[in-house]
Amino acid sequence: MSFLAAVGRFGIFLAAFLRSSWRHPPPPGRVAEEAYRIGVKSLPVLLIIAVFVGTNLALQGYKAFAPIGGQRLVGMFVSMAGIREMAPVIAASMIAAKAGTEMASQIAVMRIREQIDAMEAMAVDPLWYLILPRLLGIVLVLPALTIIAIFVTLVSAYAVTVWQLGLNGAVFIEFARQGIQGVDFLYCMLKGLAFGVIIALGACFFGFHAGAGPEGVGRATNGAVVTVSVVVVFLNYLMSEVFYG
Amino acid sequence: MVEPAIGDPIIALQGVSKAFGEVEVLKDVDLVIPARQTTAIIGPSGTGKSVLIKHVIGLLRPDRGRVLVFGTDMARAPEKEIYAVRRRMGVLFQDGALFDSLSVEENVAFPLAHHRRDLGPAARREAVEEKLEWVGLPGFADRSIASLSGGQRKRVGLARAIVMEPEILLFDEPNSGLDPFTSDAIDELILGMKARLGITFVIISHDIVGTVKVADHVGMLYEGSLVEFGPTRRIVASENPVVATFLRRNLDTSWLAARLGSERVP
Repeated sequence: MSFLAAVGRFGIFLAAFLRSSWRHPPPPGRVAEEAYRIGVKSLPVLLIIAVFVGTNLALQGYKAFAPIGGQRLVGMFVSMAGIREMAPVIAASMIAAKAGTEMASQIAVMRIREQIDAMEAMAVDPLWYLILPRLLGIVLVLPALTIIAIFVTLVSAYAVTVWQLGLNGAVFIEFARQGIQGVDFLYCMLKGLAFGVIIALGACFFGFHAGAGPEGVGRATNGAVVTVSVVVVFLNYLMSEVFYG
Repeated sequence: MVEPAIGDPIIALQGVSKAFGEVEVLKDVDLVIPARQTTAIIGPSGTGKSVLIKHVIGLLRPDRGRVLVFGTDMARAPEKEIYAVRRRMGVLFQDGALFDSLSVEENVAFPLAHHRRDLGPAARREAVEEKLEWVGLPGFADRSIASLSGGQRKRVGLARAIVMEPEILLFDEPNSGLDPFTSDAIDELILGMKARLGITFVIISHDIVGTVKVADHVGMLYEGSLVEFGPTRRIVASENPVVATFLRRNLDTSWLAARLGSERVP
């Protein structure tokens, strides 16, 4: 399928989804179920990644600034790069990789096993039943996960700065504070929200349009994670331009 | 709502054609399915039978022609009307199409949970257990889908298809993937349902023995065209070369002659 045809198909899918979703509240209990599955199950991996993002930001910041006598700026570097850019993108990438692939493959399997057809035949709108809870679940959870990622990144960077690099912890904290403002946390959560929408709709779109057989499921899952990842980093660039440009 | 009389047209395909890319799957199909009788559509694999049934459900739209169910155009009517028609239909898909993350009870109760919110959990459970009893699976309500055999999946799928007490029941290859014993058991189950419910059955199948057992009318679909349609007795004695060849290859005709008491059997 050509790029334009795919974009057109996504537009039709999005319009149909919006039409379905405005009419009724989400299926009872399903949003909480999805939020739990996305949030709780992604948390361990996210924490591990955030730890090492923080450690490496501290190391690289030190390497960059120490030669010019600017090692005290490590805190500022970590807070600006970590909070504004790395934490939202890392959280979204983890959710895309874990929850996004799970969504795409689950829905793709339902498609090839005619379960989506069965749902439609029972007069239950599959866009409403399958996608809306996943979208709301991820939108509830991803901003919170982003904030958790920020916190863990800062803590791990602080740990490396103080215990490995031997710098003053109070200086790190002071310069970290200077690097950010309260509104940065709002921007991070807005990024988390936007990325969550992209992940849910993108993954579900690919799952819904899966081709036949296991190859179809594989292609849908692969297409979902690649496309969503590219769109997320591009959207991150646009949002950073708007917020900080 | 006035119940259709036996034999009234309840489903009508008028000049239905459908192609996927270059491949024409249905070619100008005209078909009227009578109410409260059992109609089977037979034909070789890949001849368009499943595509036909998906048009009846409204999952596919014809490139040309109309598909009317209870008088509603399933391709052009507003979504609300199509959904209203679907609530009066039950469908058994090939592999049951059960939801793996739900239990047997949750699967069977799925349409009730969405369309009969007046029913409490106890009433829903009772309805589920009744339908599971009907399909020969008493006590299966709390089982997982993964623990079911192929035949059991079909039975649970059938229980789900009848839980809303539909007026039309559609079967997409009910015997596919089953061993001969289980296939026979499914045929007997369908016969039992036919006697119990007295509603319109439409069965898509390539299993001639099962078809002849249960169907009042048979239509033969071959390379997308409906080559013949009529009462079962007439079809099995058909002199149409396509029909005769298909039946001869798939049927022990001496058994058929004994069953139908017919002297003229291909």
